[in-house]
Amino acid sequence: MSSHLRETDLALFASGDLGLWRSFRIRLHTAKCESCQARGEAFRLDRERLRHQAEEMPAGVDWNSLAAEMTANIRVGLAAGECVDPRKRDARKRDPRKKAAHAKDSQKIPLKIKVNSFPWRPVAGIAAVAILFVAAFWLNFPSSDRLALSRVMRNLAHGGGGPIFQETGPVVEASSTGMELRENGSSLGVSQGALRPVAVSVNAQGSASARYVDADTGQVTITSVYVQQGDLQ
Amino acid sequence: MSSRAIYSRAGLPAAALLAFGFLGAGSLGAQAVSPKINLPKDSPVAVVSMDWSQSRATPRGGAYLVDVHASLSLRNSSSKRIRGVTLAVLAQEVTPGGKGAVSVPSLNVAPGDAFPVRIDLPLLRPIGTSQSSAPTVEVRLDGVLFDDLSFYGPDNLHSQRNMTVWELEARRDRKYFKNLLETGGPKALQHEMLDSLARQADLPRPGVQMVRGRSTNTDPEHQLQFAFLAVPDAPVEPASGTAQITANEASQPRFEVRNRSKRPVQFLEIGWIVRDQRGNQFLAASLPAEVNLAPGQSGEVAQDAALRFSPRTSIQSMSGFVSQVQFADGSYWIPSRKVLEQLHLNTIVAPSPEEQRLSHIYSKKGLDALVEELKKF
Repeated sequence: MSSHLRETDLALFASGDLGLWRSFRIRLHTAKCESCQARGEAFRLDRERLRHQAEEMPAGVDWNSLAAEMTANIRVGLAAGECVDPRKRDARKRDPRKKAAHAKDSQKIPLKIKVNSFPWRPVAGIAAVAILFVAAFWLNFPSSDRLALSRVMRNLAHGGGGPIFQETGPVVEASSTGMELRENGSSLGVSQGALRPVAVSVNAQGSASARYVDADTGQVTITSVYVQQGDLQ
Repeated sequence: MSSRAIYSRAGLPAAALLAFGFLGAGSLGAQAVSPKINLPKDSPVAVVSMDWSQSRATPRGGAYLVDVHASLSLRNSSSKRIRGVTLAVLAQEVTPGGKGAVSVPSLNVAPGDAFPVRIDLPLLRPIGTSQSSAPTVEVRLDGVLFDDLSFYGPDNLHSQRNMTVWELEARRDRKYFKNLLETGGPKALQHEMLDSLARQADLPRPGVQMVRGRSTNTDPEHQLQFAFLAVPDAPVEPASGTAQITANEASQPRFEVRNRSKRPVQFLEIGWIVRDQRGNQFLAASLPAEVNLAPGQSGEVAQDAALRFSPRTSIQSMSGFVSQVQFADGSYWIPSRKVLEQLHLNTIVAPSPEEQRLSHIYSKKGLDALVEELKKF
């Protein structure tokens, strides 16, 4: 802190409008600095005098119409502020007497209307983390369980109707992409390497086969996957 | 420092780190696979090298999805030429989806020569069954077929039958193309190769699922009769057949067959053709059956199996044909090319592995390379 306090700090200290920490620091300083202590005392006396003066209404002043006018002006100002910056502004509720007491100092001390804005940043942060969790959960959820879950939800939405596939384990599918292991209607894995099969077939004893031709050597490889037991002893 | 600056300097990197952490959690869960190759001491093939670095095991519920991508190099350590090899690939023996096989037909590996085998398979393995931290995948030799049609191996996956049929088809087709080259010259061979490539490109490849359970849906089930294609010289004749049809699912196929040859039949396979609502025909599945039919005897072939097609497929009719027969003396019968052409089966059924290999050589290396290949053996 500089050798002497600023006028604004002393005025706010005198009116009790400083935060705890700053008030404490200023109190510490004024306890040691007579000049700042005197100025702070002067501000306090001014406040007292103005308060007394404000308690006595000037003759011919209709406070009610004055208050209404002031209120209307404030509302116009807020509306104009909304056009520029659409944030809710909650003006600090001040004692009208305090408002009048600070009217004199408002020319020297900028009137700060501290508004309590909606905490967008924390909310946005929480929403982003939540989206991250949901995405990670969805992507890492086993696809077979995911589709089974969506199928169950659809059935519930339709009142329990619709086809229900009741499978007792994985199924093997032969298609143009190769052999695919599936469970509950969704894919677990495909045999595709760098090649696509030139032919696929299914054996009714419980296997599927795919033929590949090596692009360089022309060698044919036939790959089979079994889903029935008992073939291998 | 303003609060905005604090948010931008600390918040964004933290959010990015969180994002990578959570979204990448699935891939970080993938583990390497522990391979184990089990070859008998007197195996006619030996491992020269292997690469399993691309294989991964990813947790999926209570099981590992083992994505097997491996390259092996094997050497022929026997004194005969090798025509085919079948390897069994096991993540778990009893779990459905835990067993696979890789067959390499149409080989011509001389003694001492090496040849590559590529393995690309999705397998399932229950979590917790491995004593080691990494899921184990075992590769076993199921069979080796030599040029004299002799066989070595435990044959747990019926690889002797499969590889013998492929070799017979290969001999049939090589003989046909060689004959074409001799009688019609390179132009005729080229024309036939172009036709073959066109048929392979137009071959229907619908998605077909082999299901172990049954679907219970609201569509009514009805029985549909099979129509059979008359294969003139087939030793077994299907008399009748039915299957249960439900929209896009066919199950419980049953056939009555008769052995019209003079030799006892041990095994037969029937090709199951489906026609959908648009008139498209495709080979749905093959139905193998151990029958043991004496000459003139009839028997029933039934499978407790269900085939599920695309939801857009509505089964209108079904037909069948005998695709292979094994006699009790170990010999085989397969349809001739002429019969396949007459019955238009060559537009529905995939060509033999040898024809696919030869047509690939033609398309990649040209007619001269194909002619050289046909002259090899």
